[in-house]
Amino acid sequence: MANYFNTLPLREQLAQLAKCRFMYSSEFADGVDALKGKKMVVIGCGAQGLNQGLNLRDSGLDVSYALRPEAIAQKRQSWKNASENGFVVGTYEELIPTADIVLNLTPDKQHTAVVNAVMPLMKEGACLSYSHGFNIVEEGMQVRDDLTVIMVAPKCPGSEVRAEYVRGFGVPTLIAVHEANDPKGEGLALAKAYAVGTGGHKAGVLMSSFIAEVKSDLMGEQTILCGMLQTGSILCFDKMIEEGIEPGYASKLIQYGWENITEALKYGGVTNMLDRLSNPAKIKAFDLAEELKDIMRPLYNKHQDDIMSGHFSRTMMEDWANDDANLLKWRADTAETNFEKTPASDVEISEQEFFDNGILMVAMVKAGVELAFETMTAAGIIAESAYYESLHETPLIANTIARKKLYEMNATISDTAEYGCYLYNHACVPLLADFMKGIKSDVIGKGLDLDDNGVDNARLIDVNDALRAHPVEAVGAVLRGHMADMKKIV
Amino acid sequence: MEPSTRLASIQLNNATISFDDRFTLSEIDWTIEPHQHWVITGANGSGKSALAAALAGVGKIEAGTVQGLPERVGLVSFEVQAELIAEELKKDDADIMDVVSLGTPVSEMIFEHCEDAELAYELVEKFGLTTLLDRAFRKLSTGETRKVMLIRALANKPDLLILDEPFDGLDVDTLAMLQAHLASIIESVPMVMVLNRFDEMPDFITHVAYLDKDRPDPAQENKKQGNRARREGGRLAFTVDRQDEAAFNELYQLLHLKTTDLSVPEADPAHQLPALDPNQPLVKLKQATIKYGDTVIVDSLDWTIERGQHWQLSGPNGSGKTCVLSLITGDHPQCYTNDIFVFGFQRGNGESIWQIKQFIGYVSTALQWEYRVSTSCRNVIISGFFDSIGVYTKSTDNQQKIADQWLDLLGMKTRADQPFNKLSYGDQRLLLIARAMVKHPPLLILDEPCLGLDDMNRQLVLALIEKICEGKETTVLYVNHHTEDRIKEIDNHLTLDKNH
Repeated sequence: MANYFNTLPLREQLAQLAKCRFMYSSEFADGVDALKGKKMVVIGCGAQGLNQGLNLRDSGLDVSYALRPEAIAQKRQSWKNASENGFVVGTYEELIPTADIVLNLTPDKQHTAVVNAVMPLMKEGACLSYSHGFNIVEEGMQVRDDLTVIMVAPKCPGSEVRAEYVRGFGVPTLIAVHEANDPKGEGLALAKAYAVGTGGHKAGVLMSSFIAEVKSDLMGEQTILCGMLQTGSILCFDKMIEEGIEPGYASKLIQYGWENITEALKYGGVTNMLDRLSNPAKIKAFDLAEELKDIMRPLYNKHQDDIMSGHFSRTMMEDWANDDANLLKWRADTAETNFEKTPASDVEISEQEFFDNGILMVAMVKAGVELAFETMTAAGIIAESAYYESLHETPLIANTIARKKLYEMNATISDTAEYGCYLYNHACVPLLADFMKGIKSDVIGKGLDLDDNGVDNARLIDVNDALRAHPVEAVGAVLRGHMADMKKIV
Repeated sequence: MEPSTRLASIQLNNATISFDDRFTLSEIDWTIEPHQHWVITGANGSGKSALAAALAGVGKIEAGTVQGLPERVGLVSFEVQAELIAEELKKDDADIMDVVSLGTPVSEMIFEHCEDAELAYELVEKFGLTTLLDRAFRKLSTGETRKVMLIRALANKPDLLILDEPFDGLDVDTLAMLQAHLASIIESVPMVMVLNRFDEMPDFITHVAYLDKDRPDPAQENKKQGNRARREGGRLAFTVDRQDEAAFNELYQLLHLKTTDLSVPEADPAHQLPALDPNQPLVKLKQATIKYGDTVIVDSLDWTIERGQHWQLSGPNGSGKTCVLSLITGDHPQCYTNDIFVFGFQRGNGESIWQIKQFIGYVSTALQWEYRVSTSCRNVIISGFFDSIGVYTKSTDNQQKIADQWLDLLGMKTRADQPFNKLSYGDQRLLLIARAMVKHPPLLILDEPCLGLDDMNRQLVLALIEKICEGKETTVLYVNHHTEDRIKEIDNHLTLDKNH
């Protein structure tokens, strides 16, 4: 199998990368009708598989689970998940031939094996659905011509997909149709109905392409979303210990700090996040972020280049073939970092204190979000996609760190994201070594030690203008506006 | 004369006091310390005035003890006022054959048994009664009579001042003057007032006593008809120190719910539920079974809920009460493996859970824990129209209006825009009950609605449920593991046993 993206001519690559459109509520007026009475068979019953299935069934759709014979025979967790929730469970041979739509919700690395196993069993003209396009785009999976191939990707962990549905809402969802496999032209209708069935239409749906999803998703998760937060956590913690900050406090400032400061990001972008700081602290954070961006830009470029060329996916697949040797070693290393091993104390930290004493963290988030956005758009990914895969998802990942630190983050994200995160971390920690030598506790741990908060007017105006003029802020304001329309009065 | 600081505390210990053999207050425990100033409040007919009068020595102590009542008690109340007027009229009757009686003049009423004439003169002037001193007491208007009584009581230098609704019928200026005078004597005399309106409560009041009116037992009520049995007053349910702001606010709401004439707001005419077949039951479970692995939680349960048939579901912890409910609401995944008929749908035939939930109002502790969105009190109620946690759909002006009517009913009008998650636990529960009822669902499920609430909040919730049960279109399914929290309208009971 060849890398599908690399088989396309440049103009087609650019056209696919540029696909991303926020859909109107009116486009979902048909609800789940396109899937009514059709048989949906889910493969895989992990967090995404189970929770999407629960939502779809509660939306009135016919859902069952196909598992491998050994999972059924040994009553593995996936079998328990499905059967205890009252679903019909069967083997591929029993269920796939009856399916009108097969939902492949297994981890990336199983995709090739799974699709090769189910494809011959699928009935003529059925539909194969993914929640991530890696298999199609990076591995170049060739799907039978008569099958429709779509993607419905809720942009949240499976548990959130369920929790939001039960509340009567949903999570933002990305849908796409693989144009090479849409023989009956029904792909979009099926994808929309599927998004309605999971509740995604209530939170906002992006119409994208397999390629744009994969290339932007990989870039975002490796750099700002997981990589930057992991690197930042480790560096900031070690610096605070070096500066004599009480370890329990340092641990807490970081564990909950990302969540608190990126909450401001969620509501009002990078500008609002920096506006939460005092004027001198804001200027300080701005300067640190500029410095960080200069140092890290080559690294972001390298990640994006490796993703575009297919180098990243090839090396990761080599690690798959090598029994995940690198992944498992890095996972073990992370568990041994001082940050991970030092429990947060029960000291009270107010929401504002996370900003005041975490100026460097704010700078790191700003630098990471802007760099990721700039690098993605420079590579041909449309601003909307770049926004979602950088700024929009950062608070979601930050929430996982607040729950149980880096362990939880890496456990929640996909193996693909985890692998990319470690690659980034291994390059970024040494890259920032010199920079970190100049850092003191005034920007991480204690807050600025100033007699007054006076600043130079001209300098403050420059900084505020620069913050607001960044292109991620313009597209963010529009998309957050759409989301607010969706959420209205949450 | 020594100020009243020499007074010991007044103590009612398990006191049962009868009034004219027709009204009884039972088992009152109450202590009034010197320098405390109390307001007695409570439901209508709970015996507030009787309790106040008891402090003036009115009534017969049938059981228990009442200690420390001062000798000089000033009592101003409508009852005393009415008695005085009646006496005056009697004098008139007695003299009718002779000459036309002028009745007792106001000056005599005020100065005859006066301890402090100087103060009396001062007050007469302040109350604007100077020109009326020669007038016959019975010729005065109700408001003027009330003023005379207040002056009498105040100038008598009592050791305890009891004022039953003292502010009723006073004009604004007089009210302010009286309040100011009372405030100036708080160091010298403890006061007990009966007030029904919290906003009239003077700032110097330190404590509030609340008399609760227990619901009459219908069987007892029937027996009473004909033989004019004595009426039972309420019990002294709580006393609240004003310093305790949270308790004070709750008491305000409770009083509001107990005394308001407001009823449950109407449904939204634009938000009509699909019509249900009147010949079908609301719910029918056949051989319902829930199990996890080999553990059976609910075993072969048959249960039919007909429309208008209120049910109470009870059973020990772990007997599967909530599991059974979630089969009905569609929240339990095993509802797809059971034979369940709800609101016209045989489950598992392509219906969505939102089609089921639209017919159900639901309140539980778990819902309260899950209701963690930061949204306003008004939106919490509005979310009931959409069966969502938080509001994600644009609401209509009418829906907002209905939500405001509910807030009014709950006595939370001023808190419409406050964040829900900053409310007390009890207030959150009240709002969630309003949320469940806002669409007037055919079935209202109250899963342990009083769980985790203190006595006052329990009273609040039960008062609201009672209001709701006054309406007829909603069938109530009430779940709890206590048997004492009974709702009188409910006469069907299902008890689950622990199976495992």
